[in-house]
Amino acid sequence: MKASKTNIVAVQKKKSFGVYMKRYWQLYVLLALPLVYLLIFKYIPMVYIQIAFKDYSIVQSVWEMPWADNNGFEYFIKAFKNRDFLFALRNTLFLNLLDLFIGFPIPIIFALILNELVFKNFKRVVQTIAYMPHFLSWVIIYGLALQLFAPTNGLINMLLNNMGFESIPFLNESGHWVATYIFLGVWQSFGWNSIVYLAAIAGINPELYEAASVDGAGRFRKMWHITLPGIRSTIVVLLIMSLGNILGSGFDRPFALQNKLVMDVANVISTFVYKNGIKGLQFSLTTAVGFFQSIICVFFLLLANWISRRLGERGIW
Amino acid sequence: MKKRIIALVLASCMTMSLMACGGKTEEAAAPAEPATEEAAPAEEAAPAEEAAPAEEAAVDPSNGEIVDGKFVETRKITVEIYDRGNDGGSDPTNNMYTEYIKKGMLEDHNVEVEFVAVPRWTEVEQINNLLAAGDAPDICLTYDYPTIQTYANMGGVLDMSTYLADYKDMLPNLFNWLGDTNIYWNRDPQNGTVWAIEGKRAVTARINTFVRQDWLDQLGLQAPTTKAEFEAMLVAFRDNADTLLGADADKMVPYSISYDVGWRAATLIESFMDPAISGREYYVNGFDDRKFTENGTKEAVRLINKWYNDGLIWKDFALYGSGDATEDDMMKAGYVGAFTHNWDYPWRNGTDSIAANLVRMVGPDAKFVAIDPFEDSKGTHTKFITSSAGDRKIFFPSTNEEPVACMLYLDWISDPEHIQYLQLGDEGVTHTVVEEGVYASMAAEGEAIMNSGQNIDYTITCNGLNLATPESTLKSLAYSYAEADPADVANAYEIAMTDSRAERNVNVGAITAEEGMGPALSEKRDIVFDTAVVASVDEFDSIWDAGYEDYLSSGGQAIIDERTEKWIATFGDVAEQP
Repeated sequence: MKASKTNIVAVQKKKSFGVYMKRYWQLYVLLALPLVYLLIFKYIPMVYIQIAFKDYSIVQSVWEMPWADNNGFEYFIKAFKNRDFLFALRNTLFLNLLDLFIGFPIPIIFALILNELVFKNFKRVVQTIAYMPHFLSWVIIYGLALQLFAPTNGLINMLLNNMGFESIPFLNESGHWVATYIFLGVWQSFGWNSIVYLAAIAGINPELYEAASVDGAGRFRKMWHITLPGIRSTIVVLLIMSLGNILGSGFDRPFALQNKLVMDVANVISTFVYKNGIKGLQFSLTTAVGFFQSIICVFFLLLANWISRRLGERGIW
Repeated sequence: MKKRIIALVLASCMTMSLMACGGKTEEAAAPAEPATEEAAPAEEAAPAEEAAPAEEAAVDPSNGEIVDGKFVETRKITVEIYDRGNDGGSDPTNNMYTEYIKKGMLEDHNVEVEFVAVPRWTEVEQINNLLAAGDAPDICLTYDYPTIQTYANMGGVLDMSTYLADYKDMLPNLFNWLGDTNIYWNRDPQNGTVWAIEGKRAVTARINTFVRQDWLDQLGLQAPTTKAEFEAMLVAFRDNADTLLGADADKMVPYSISYDVGWRAATLIESFMDPAISGREYYVNGFDDRKFTENGTKEAVRLINKWYNDGLIWKDFALYGSGDATEDDMMKAGYVGAFTHNWDYPWRNGTDSIAANLVRMVGPDAKFVAIDPFEDSKGTHTKFITSSAGDRKIFFPSTNEEPVACMLYLDWISDPEHIQYLQLGDEGVTHTVVEEGVYASMAAEGEAIMNSGQNIDYTITCNGLNLATPESTLKSLAYSYAEADPADVANAYEIAMTDSRAERNVNVGAITAEEGMGPALSEKRDIVFDTAVVASVDEFDSIWDAGYEDYLSSGGQAIIDERTEKWIATFGDVAEQP
């Protein structure tokens, strides 16, 4: 009985796959190429994750390298004994959480405000200006930051000095540096990140707003009861994705912004990997660190998705 | 129907484009694959295999492969060349100097040479990538020996010892120029392997401190000869900023350093070291070339810290990374009173040198001159200069299939005549003749521009002016900077060599604790230097001690211990090597 049931399911599945294939083959053909891309550039390179468990040699194929000590976990043990790695782990978490708490709501608020603007042209201009920083590389942004925030030659500090105030160490004191780091990150990305929300807002049925107006709802009521619930699923999806990146942090932002005076808070996992792995040739150690980082990220992603489904949202799958 | 056609067209377009990309990557990867696969056998087999014909060659030089120093069949080698990306420079892989080398090698040895550009400031990373891809040039160079040792331990480097021994007769220039000292500098004392040979420094002067002569004159000061006088001079610069800089008084920087304090205050740090330091103590603490753990460094940094808190040092020094031009621009604009740097720094880069810019932007009297202000506990001015080695290290990656041709290249590039031509260029284009055997550099244009001073990037076995005769070299050195006053240069050279102490080669075998630690420890060292300099005077001790402790526990102590152990194992428990 059971067997026949599975058989039927299998047949159905087979059948439906064939049917879909026949009906939408053009779409599948189009899909095939991106899949091949993912396979070649994202999955095949994963073979080299083995380096984390092996003694790396620059001239051997990854299959020929000898296994590391301690059943291959030598480099994971080394990483967790390395104080710099632990600091980098702490800093990554700290900076990313700050980014999440401060950087995540701002695009939403910005989208809501933008949505309330009556003058279409003004709205477009504001939107475009807010996008622009997204296209600047971090090296350029650091150049701008130096011109503005450097203790003696920075514009803002020169103004402060002329008005009789002390310079503010925006870049050369750990606490201030964190604030500058977060501020620059938000400034660079909030315009760009608000696009998704604006698109979601545009998809809300305008009749809802009309009905609310008839019922006497003001702007804030409408925002609270219509716009925000309307984009809630978008917010949740993006929140899950950012939680999945909680240990991720790009390389260029911390690397471009850090300097020797603030390394106690600025050294993150990606820059640790660069300095020890690529410059110091400790490939196995840093692959182990990178692998660990990915596992934690996947864990956070699954967790966030699970929570959102428990709360009645759709999650990302 | 229409939809189908469009879909088909789109799909085939994508396939085509992807195929095109795929094709390219495959092509690029193709040479890499066999290399990585073959590497392991090659590493074991190559020396043995090559050694046999090599011996034959020694017995019978006309074994058909090489006749009169020329290969019967044309060989092809690739050579690493630094790309410095200078403004207005030429393509480092293709210009009149590379043509000279290519032509010479083809005529003399029937070897075709191809240059592979590697960015100067990221050379280690770049060579790394090339080695991993099996694409590394046949002749590689780097300033960083631990890197080579790491590659060698992975089996990525050819052992040169057999070739050096078997082909010695065919490499007269190489042996004449480098001598056994530099060639066997890195020979392993246990098993005799030679992973790399050391290029030679023709000029061993290292560091000088410079001061604005016109500022001294304006304030009626003498050039300082002690630390106290130097400090008083900095204070005078600071307090007279209005006189010296007028409207730009707020831009005054009495003494300028960079984030790399250990380098940019090197003579000051050396003056705090015990002038009687033993060879053993110096070596044991010698892993860090900024002398971080040597005996006096802390007190030197304490003095810099005091100066910083007194407003005598550039406040923004730590914010600019290596290669950033901001500090140089301040010197060029005339805001900087004094600084410490390479012994010839103000005159480097011809028309774009600090000296030339200063004259253009400030006035004809403005100039930096070298001074010798940091006395040590004996009252002398000890400066640790480089040994004849300590320059670039040349190695052959294990993918090198033409080690003999590469050896001949090293010989060719060490020929005094070839060095002289590459350093001087053509008369009337890059130099003029002052008198018999004395050459003065002039600013070149277009093709003839040298991307590196005296073309040192091409003369890989030679760094610094080295002409056919020593007298000619010494006299020409002062004239070797375009648009510089020869008297100033001669004075700077003399000061840089005053009370100088050359580093000795200590070869006790590979120190395993050093492997892969260089970048991480250098970074830590810079962090300690920088945070200690900007600390308040009260906090200096705690910040320095904490950072120093962290440096030691993160690998520094292990290196010191292993160096001590191997020193004792090699030379016995003595203070100086025999």
